[in-house]
Amino acid sequence: MNSMGRIQATLSGQPLDRRAFAPVLGLYGARLTHCPLEQYYTDPAAYARGQSAVRETFQPDVLCAPLAFASIGAAFGSELVFLDTLPPNLRRPAIQSVEQWDSIVFPDPDIHPQLLYFRDVIRRMAAEHRGEVPIAMVIPIPADIPAVIMGLETWLEIVLFDPAGAQRVMDTIVPFYVRLVNGFFAAGATFVVMPCGFASPAIVTREIVTNFTRPILAKVLAQLRGPVVLHNVGAPLLAHLDLLTGLPAVVGFIVDQRDDLAQARCVAGPDNVLFGGLDCANIGQLTAAEVEDRCRAILEERRQDARFVLGTSGPDVAWNTPPENIHAMRKAAESFGKIDT
Amino acid sequence: MTIQQALIEKIRLADRPGANALLDAWATEHGYERLLAEILDPTLILIGEEWRSSETFTLAQVYVAAKVTEDVLNKIVDLRKPSPADQLPKGPVVIGNIEEDFHALGRRMVGTFLRTDGWIVHDLGNDVPAAEFVDKAQAVGARVIGVSAMMMTTARHITRVREEIDRRGLTGRIQLAVGGAVFRICPGLDAEVGGNGTAPDALGAADLFDRLWKQSVRKEAVA
Repeated sequence: MNSMGRIQATLSGQPLDRRAFAPVLGLYGARLTHCPLEQYYTDPAAYARGQSAVRETFQPDVLCAPLAFASIGAAFGSELVFLDTLPPNLRRPAIQSVEQWDSIVFPDPDIHPQLLYFRDVIRRMAAEHRGEVPIAMVIPIPADIPAVIMGLETWLEIVLFDPAGAQRVMDTIVPFYVRLVNGFFAAGATFVVMPCGFASPAIVTREIVTNFTRPILAKVLAQLRGPVVLHNVGAPLLAHLDLLTGLPAVVGFIVDQRDDLAQARCVAGPDNVLFGGLDCANIGQLTAAEVEDRCRAILEERRQDARFVLGTSGPDVAWNTPPENIHAMRKAAESFGKIDT
Repeated sequence: MTIQQALIEKIRLADRPGANALLDAWATEHGYERLLAEILDPTLILIGEEWRSSETFTLAQVYVAAKVTEDVLNKIVDLRKPSPADQLPKGPVVIGNIEEDFHALGRRMVGTFLRTDGWIVHDLGNDVPAAEFVDKAQAVGARVIGVSAMMMTTARHITRVREEIDRRGLTGRIQLAVGGAVFRICPGLDAEVGGNGTAPDALGAADLFDRLWKQSVRKEAVA
């Protein structure tokens, strides 16, 4: 069974040869190939080479396209800063208030180089690993996109205190977002992972999720041409997980290290895939033996769960994580051999 | 229901106008000067305690609390021109995000809550090199520097501020407060990067700065 078969079997709850193992190693490819990050996050060939190295080194069951949210903001005019050991970040958002929204020029996903970068990466990765390893594209949910255009504080203020303004912004974001993500599927993304900032219990209230985030998400998901996994965005998700179930196109959830996996399974229902594992920031702080022990404990707890995948929570596995710690995760997954349903 | 409970409920509902109306009504009767000490400060402490213990408050709600606090401060400024004689600031402090860190929201909330508590806050913004923190602290006579970082990788840059403080012979005199999301995930990281202390969230910053300021005074007296 190869990685594609393993993930497909997990999705459909079929027997597995072993647990699937899906850490987020987008950034780590640059470390493996000694590629400067400005090149890595602007040159599709450089990124694809990094992911080939990730596959060769760790044999994960999912490969990730760039997790570089700020680059989406840059397509709208936000100023980027390239860092030595992190994905690019926003130096300055494109606008500072909702009044400036109408002056924003929407980038064309078929033409804009910043957006074509993502699509080209996916195309290259799909061509190289097609049928063997699933390719996941990671992009924040639609309600998070304005934060990379106007900054989190401005967007939070609009969502909280100017509901009409927030709706006006989202009315223009939705068609753009649908086109962008369907372009990712057309390029070869197997599934899309969506970190849910404006659905996270750490960030917004249940009322905001219910009345704002979820209706927009439902509208978008109904128009997408591929499966979607919703992601914890680096904070516990369980308290809002019930608000994210029953949405079209969603096939799974990546929960946080601090979430109770058994409870998450109850809320997510039996048919969704549940990804769980150690937090990206913590993996590098542990010894390889500790990583393996903790992953084994997680896998032991989910032994009867046919639709569980050992992943990581949070963003990318950190740059300074020793490779032996990532090998330790894989070793733990491999030790949980044949899984019958 | 006490006014504090009512205020918490308004903030929980992210109802900024409602919270302001509540506070305005109380201040009309008792005065804005008393509002900070008797109502707003204790309420912020309660919210902080609940946020820490049960994580039932969200960033959005704490942001609403910060905005309501700002609203009250602005009203006080509008109502009276404070003179040095009638206001006793606690002292100058310096805050900023460490170099390569661009997550401003937490730092800005810390600034708001510190100002509410009487500190003179020098906010250096995002992506601040270590030397700039210490230069500013020396220039304004700050005993506490507060450095924010969201990610593990950027948090490690805080060691440069520690090194800069020590290199200039200011160990103990200038205390280093550290904070940000990653410090909640990784216990012990504050000491690892050379911090003298951390707070679990923006609402706890005032207490932390109080403690570190006193620590600085004590250490200088001993020296």
